Amino acid sequence: MSTAANMVEIRNVSRAFGQSVAVDNANLTLQRGDFLTIVGPSGCGKTTLLRMIAGFDEPSRGEILINGQNVASVPAYQRSIGMVFQKLALFPHMTAFENVAFPLRMRRFNPALIPELVDRYLSLVKLDHLAARRPHQLSGGQQQRVAIARALSFSPDLLLLDEPLSALDKKLREEMQLEFRRIQQELGVTTINVTHDQREALVMSDHMIVMDEGVVQQSNTPREIYNRPGNRFVAGFLGVTSMFKGRVSAIQDGLLSVDMGGVTMTARGNDALFSIGDAIDCAVRAEQITLLEEGAQARENTVTGLVRQRIFEGDRMVYEVRVEDMNDSSLYVFDHNPGKHGEHDVDTTVRLGWNAESFYAFPVVK
Amino acid sequence: MPKRTLDRLPLRWTLLDKLEAIARFLWPARLRGATGWLFITPALLLVGVLLIGLGYMIEYSLHELDLSTYRLKDAYTLDNYVFLVEQPVYLRVLLRTLLAATLVTAMTLFLAFPYAYLMVRTPSSALRKFLLVSLFLPFFIGQVVRAYGWLIILGKEGIINTVLLKMGLPALDLIYNYGAVVFGLVQYMLPFAVLLIVPAITAIGEDIELAAESLGANWLRAFWHVVLPMARPGLVGAGVVVFTLSMTDFAMPEILGGGTTDFIASAIYDSFFQLSNSGLGAALSIVLVTLGSILVAIVFRLTGAGTLSIRQ
Ligand SMILES: Nc1ncnc2c1ncn2[C@@H]1O[C@H](COP(=O)(O)OP(=O)(O)O)[C@@H](O)[C@H]1O
Ligand SMILES: [Mg+2]
Repeated sequence: MSTAANMVEIRNVSRAFGQSVAVDNANLTLQRGDFLTIVGPSGCGKTTLLRMIAGFDEPSRGEILINGQNVASVPAYQRSIGMVFQKLALFPHMTAFENVAFPLRMRRFNPALIPELVDRYLSLVKLDHLAARRPHQLSGGQQQRVAIARALSFSPDLLLLDEPLSALDKKLREEMQLEFRRIQQELGVTTINVTHDQREALVMSDHMIVMDEGVVQQSNTPREIYNRPGNRFVAGFLGVTSMFKGRVSAIQDGLLSVDMGGVTMTARGNDALFSIGDAIDCAVRAEQITLLEEGAQARENTVTGLVRQRIFEGDRMVYEVRVEDMNDSSLYVFDHNPGKHGEHDVDTTVRLGWNAESFYAFPVVK
Repeated sequence: MPKRTLDRLPLRWTLLDKLEAIARFLWPARLRGATGWLFITPALLLVGVLLIGLGYMIEYSLHELDLSTYRLKDAYTLDNYVFLVEQPVYLRVLLRTLLAATLVTAMTLFLAFPYAYLMVRTPSSALRKFLLVSLFLPFFIGQVVRAYGWLIILGKEGIINTVLLKMGLPALDLIYNYGAVVFGLVQYMLPFAVLLIVPAITAIGEDIELAAESLGANWLRAFWHVVLPMARPGLVGAGVVVFTLSMTDFAMPEILGGGTTDFIASAIYDSFFQLSNSGLGAALSIVLVTLGSILVAIVFRLTGAGTLSIRQ
């Protein structure tokens, strides 16, 4: 086995279906043992990209290297890749044991070793006691576990997960996210996970790629992407984000003065992208906005607005506030401790503030 | 704000309301549990009539023909069955029928499976439509016309032999033999088999095949270990239908066999209408029905009822 530093390398890969481009010039590298999550809205090309890596589909352009080897001419059944499908695709006519043994038999493992290997992987997913059950006799979560054991039992170089958790209810899904992460770390298997669930992407991965309309929008650690969204799409996709239109009135050291309609605010952005007079989009996350009490000190950006809606979410209160001075835009703000200073009623006035550091400026996308 | 209800309902609604009221009067809510029975009664009656017919057949088969009057004698006897066993010709016809039905079933399934698979899996909707139309076209033609069509093509002075003679080759005996009957039956059964297999293949998600592939199975192994076992209900259902239809077929052996390849159905026909021996014909019919039922029961016992069953 070669020991290339990068387990997966994707170079300028595109895939077009007739006129429509499902994946547009994607690049990524993934190191041995890493957990990468590709996140993006439904239809952005995630499955298409995974299918090309797995060998079910070929790129229209570009190349895919696995373990340092160009796999263009390697059929799917000869690639060392375990895949867990969106609909699991367990074999209904086989027991859990037979499902997990299937890749071992197909890959001609020594038959004497197969039962032991199957046991080991069924124990890893805590299903050894249900080995004799058929898939339809297992719960949704248990089926997930069989699917993952089956994808791992032959020690593949790479594990691909195509939204296998999307059909589960929230609680089970979050449990399985941690479970997948535990297994992945225990085995150290290089993994690409695909999801449209931003929380899953943030929770599970070492590396994260945000995709939209077939294009990789940003690629970095979850923390870095969340805190420094590279463009308007990424800012809006992650977290609860409010967007505003504005016009640049001054630029200095990465800080922009922005005319928001009635007020001028300070936002952060890359100097090189803007010039004075440009129309821009500004974004702020709900958790970065503070509800300012009477007499509290103003922030770098402070406005007053009218409460339009109050939503009780248990652990927090969410307010939708309309700000006249910002072209009548609405913004969302959280109050994590509503008991402390009382609730704000609908149609009352509130004062809000946030720092320039958390106010991202992006060029308007044409 | 508009009023919630109209003063005058559209005529169609009024009529439907009246009809519902009549139905409520004739079939009060108390009887709702029996509604299902109401709707299957016609079908039950049809089956019931068949059963009565079968009863008469059993009764006929137990009386011997009186050769002086050409009527059945009054006394009950098993002579007709004894006659069937004693005359080797009937055993021969029976074995011929069973062998042909087996051959036809095997060949039909073998041909129908790839056809159905392609029809379900092809990404080209043009090809799918073509396959579907080709499948249904023969249905509109009917069995007898189709058999005569084969005579025109395969007969002594048919198209193929004409061409062969033109090329200076000897003419071939393509019809009036076993092969021709089997061939004709396969061609006749193919659409039935395909239609019964298609749902079974549709039920196998494409992901399942991709999963098999990514787990290390080339297409042949994926087919053998995954597709074929999962499609078994369809194959069993199609197999049973094709086998029973072939075993009881009359037209193909009559027309394409030309008297050389009689099936049981031909023997039954001859007993009733050539020999005027309705007792013997009835006995043959009972043998056929019993044999068919036993074979189908064995298959269901071994494999489940396939697509034809409600639960699996
Ligand atoms: N076989 C196909 N033929 C035509 N278009 C396809 C095919 N597969 C995917 N697409 C298109 O490519 C785009 C990306 O699809 P997909 O990769 O499945 O998205 P995702 O998995 O992110 O939801 C979609 O617009 C989809 O309609
Ligand atoms: Mg998808």
